[in-house]
Amino acid sequence: MNEEKQSTQKKRKKINWAPYWLILPSLIYLALFFIWPMFRGLGLAVYNDEAALSLQTEPSRDAATAGTLPQGTQVEILDQQGNLIPPDEAGQANVITEVWYQISAEDADGNTVEGWVSESRIRVREENEAGAPTAGSVRTRIGAGDTLTEVYSEPNENAEVAGQLEARAEVAITDQSILEIWYQVRGEDRNQTVEGWAQSRYIQVFGETNTGRIDRGNTGQFTTEYLSKMVNDRFFWPATITTFLLMILIIPVQFVLAIVMALVIQARLKGNSLFLYVFTIPLGISELAVGILWFSIFTQSGFLNSFLQTTGLINTPITFLSADTRYWIIIAIWLAEVWRATSIVMVIVVSGLQAISDEVLEAAELFGASLWQRVRHVILPMLKPSLQVALILRTILALQVFAVVIALSGGDVVTVLANETYRQYSEFRNANVAAAYAGLILLISMGSAVIYLRMIRSQEEMAA
Amino acid sequence: MSTTISPKNAVQVEASAEVKAVHQQMLRQQRLNRAATYAVAILLVLWILVPIYLIASMAFTTPAAVRAYPKGVLPFIPFSFETMNFFLQSEGIIPGVINSIIVAIITLVLSTLIAAPAGYATSRFLFPGRDFYRLSVLAVRAFPIVVLSIPLAVVFINLGMYDSVYSLALMHTALALPTTILVIGSVFASIPFELEEAAQVFGCTPFEAFRHVVLPLVLPGIAAAAVFTFVMSWNEVFAASILTVQNRTLPAQVLAVLGQSSEPYQFAGAFFMMIPALIFIFFIRRYLFNMWGQVSK
Amino acid sequence: MAEIKVENAVKTFGDFVAVDNVSLTIHDQEFMVLLGPSGCGKTTLLRAIAGLGMVDSGRISIGGRDVTYLPPRSRNISMVFQSYAIFPHMKVYDNVAFGLRMRKVDKNDIDRRVRRASELLHIENMLDRYPSKMSGGQRQRVAVARAIAMQAGVLLMDEPLSNLDALLRLEMRAELKRLLAEIDVTTIYVTHDQIEALSMGDRIAVMRNGIIQQCDHPTKVYDLPSNQFVGGFIGNPPMNFMQGQVQRHNGSVKVAIGDFALEPANLYQPILRSYDGQPIVIGIRAENMETLNKPADDALKVQVQVVEPLGSQNLLTVKIGDDTVKVSTHPTFDVTPNSDVWLRFPADKIRWIDREKGQVLYPA
Repeated sequence: MNEEKQSTQKKRKKINWAPYWLILPSLIYLALFFIWPMFRGLGLAVYNDEAALSLQTEPSRDAATAGTLPQGTQVEILDQQGNLIPPDEAGQANVITEVWYQISAEDADGNTVEGWVSESRIRVREENEAGAPTAGSVRTRIGAGDTLTEVYSEPNENAEVAGQLEARAEVAITDQSILEIWYQVRGEDRNQTVEGWAQSRYIQVFGETNTGRIDRGNTGQFTTEYLSKMVNDRFFWPATITTFLLMILIIPVQFVLAIVMALVIQARLKGNSLFLYVFTIPLGISELAVGILWFSIFTQSGFLNSFLQTTGLINTPITFLSADTRYWIIIAIWLAEVWRATSIVMVIVVSGLQAISDEVLEAAELFGASLWQRVRHVILPMLKPSLQVALILRTILALQVFAVVIALSGGDVVTVLANETYRQYSEFRNANVAAAYAGLILLISMGSAVIYLRMIRSQEEMAA
Repeated sequence: MSTTISPKNAVQVEASAEVKAVHQQMLRQQRLNRAATYAVAILLVLWILVPIYLIASMAFTTPAAVRAYPKGVLPFIPFSFETMNFFLQSEGIIPGVINSIIVAIITLVLSTLIAAPAGYATSRFLFPGRDFYRLSVLAVRAFPIVVLSIPLAVVFINLGMYDSVYSLALMHTALALPTTILVIGSVFASIPFELEEAAQVFGCTPFEAFRHVVLPLVLPGIAAAAVFTFVMSWNEVFAASILTVQNRTLPAQVLAVLGQSSEPYQFAGAFFMMIPALIFIFFIRRYLFNMWGQVSK
Repeated sequence: MAEIKVENAVKTFGDFVAVDNVSLTIHDQEFMVLLGPSGCGKTTLLRAIAGLGMVDSGRISIGGRDVTYLPPRSRNISMVFQSYAIFPHMKVYDNVAFGLRMRKVDKNDIDRRVRRASELLHIENMLDRYPSKMSGGQRQRVAVARAIAMQAGVLLMDEPLSNLDALLRLEMRAELKRLLAEIDVTTIYVTHDQIEALSMGDRIAVMRNGIIQQCDHPTKVYDLPSNQFVGGFIGNPPMNFMQGQVQRHNGSVKVAIGDFALEPANLYQPILRSYDGQPIVIGIRAENMETLNKPADDALKVQVQVVEPLGSQNLLTVKIGDDTVKVSTHPTFDVTPNSDVWLRFPADKIRWIDREKGQVLYPA
């Protein structure tokens, strides 16, 4: 003890950084691929990045906020204006753009005019190697009274007019700018009319009309939208109920079977290592393969029907796996899961049993405990930490049951939470609702772990 | 057995008849218990092996035999590679196998590289925060990590890394890492530190001591952990289905076409996916107890 | 009341005979030590008495009741295990009470007996603690308390002190001896430590290869070993053995060690006469030889090889013929390595041993 104290004191004097360097990669990895995705997942489930659009008082980024409208609001488009955008923001969805050219040309009076003209007013005649226009001519206005084209001092129709050019005037193009259209919109949110400017990328315009819809927002908001979508999904309650039903059906049977297997191993029969190998095989078998395996037994032309028919117990094959015989699907999933995942419990129980010394068992025997009393008062209490771990692990694994269910039910007739997570993501392309399902699974697993630990602790307190 | 021994004394004192009867009954009971244990053991073995045999018989026969009803059992099922060939030649299977192997190997290498130093640190150094670290790793393992594929998929799409075997391998490494850290830690812990110290006393540098003494001793354990990681990655289907679309791994491919595929395809596929488990579990069965046993300590 | 009788017990493991036709009677309230090197069958014999391993043949009775094939719980025994076998998931109190609870003893009675046993072992203030937080010595006390709380007629102890460090072992040894004198119990104590055996036992049964070599009081086992093995196993340093030759001179028998002739005591003359002209082994303990620093007629000249000062004595290593002999001298006896000393062998301290059979020869 003294020595220990001394050594820790020595350590305190000079911190040894080596272990920290050694665990650092794993910490970084788990932070990147465990903690961060977890928060990101919870975010996906309850936070909508594009929930609302804040409208500006002026068609400018720096302008004050006029109010917000939620995603999906129908709006009236009152006005529109082009505005410079940085090149890296071009190309986004829904961005409606205008291109303006910086030109220099001579007007009708022979004065040199320099300024900006909208792309639609210039016919490009020359381009450089990069494809950028270098020269062109002013287009003719068709059917317009005024045939002159305004040149603005800035790429903006509201800017000062720098001069006017006649149709077909030759222009040199020195630069070009891309403008994004801003819309002045009016919409209603909770009976309040909000009016303001927004960039075209957020607005979906309906054809040539002056109405549109807020396609996506630019400010995030917490939302219960995905959660309610999940809860109101027609598969939600069946999936939840089936998940819990399977947990209740599978886990007790698994524990009894695993303890029996472990006791068989502990009996040290001849051929023990063979038994051990066979008992652990399912540990390494893919969930999907197990599902198909039990499908081959329960399907209409499967082994179970074949056996029953060959032995004369039935005349026509029974349809086990159909919507009308859901309970048979549950039974098949139950058998498949018991078959597949008992091994891991067995391994944990066996290593727990091995940690109990023979002398302790002998002492119990010598002090008068019968076989049952030894199991009850010595083996099970000493096995408790192992059983506890196995229980938590098993519950969490039971929540992930997925491929077995798909293989045996097609994923529709009987469904579970993990399957719904997959379906929401893959079939409905709704990552948010899928994340909500994933969050629910996380929550249930954490909850059950806490409940188990509580249960076990309160038992201890009762005993004490 | 006692007859084989020549007692020194001619006079043999035996237990009284009454006690002998008790003994006889006890022995009978023991024999009965043993027979019962054997019976239970054999029943359990059948419970595990019969389904495997059934699916294997379907994987190695003709498609006609797979579709036949009622099915017989061996020797009524003709042996043939037809079903298995049919499965292996189906679209997407060979690329799927290759993808699965690539993902599994990257996962194995990555998780071993990251976990080995961490395992060494937890078993060799008593540093402040060590218990917290171990506990955190345990907690992470007791977590349904696969469901994190959803947010990861979103992240990967944003980063342009979606639908790639490499990003799937990153996910699988996260799945395997906690277990690998704990297993490798226990493997190192089983090698007494005195051995390293002895090597240093006899003239090795700390690194040489590790290289010549510790490494050869821990290599089998680390290899077992790596094999287990391989099997886990090979089997994993949820994350694989979420994170890949074109570059599917074998289980993801089989799952994707499960609804439209024929029974010969499914059954041969199921058995094909089982093969690594049958082989590898045999080699690492001794270490399985290391892996799961020390969780509870 | 609790006399233990082992008759013709045989126990084999495959080809290995662990207990070879052993017969042994331990009297009521006696402290019997089973002593022997590892693998001699002492633990197997103890386990057979405990009922943890049944004998192949023979009979074991406790208090006149044949218990040969009864399970341990029907034998009215308790035991202290080598690794203590304390139940780690139970508090000290529950550990001590375990056997009584299994026997469905009345609750108040359990409490009284647990408290009494823990007072005897000075663990009464640890009853609420878990054993995992206790030191080896404390666990040892719990194991003993658990055993004596049973108040069984027989207490079996399987190397109970072997896991303690030297100082603690010394302390515990004395305490156990005091404790067992206080309570009425027949004790069988297995050990490979001969000091423990000599200091604690009423009688010692020395075992080797599954056979009891000698069973007697400690002083008898020390002074009058029945054979060369017992003499060589017990004592520190063990008994010295030298090769000699029996020679007859004018009716009296002498034993020659090289040129030197030993004169056996009269008592042994008749036995040695039959060994005339044959080699014989001479056994004598280190402290029984007289050391002189000058020649004498009845003393053998030897050269000192090693001198080990041990505080209370100096231990000399000398060579006599091919045999290495340890001689203990008074610390004031002045001697250096390679110097010569003369040894005198008191006739009554010499043990004569048959070279073939290893038996120590005693007059009829």
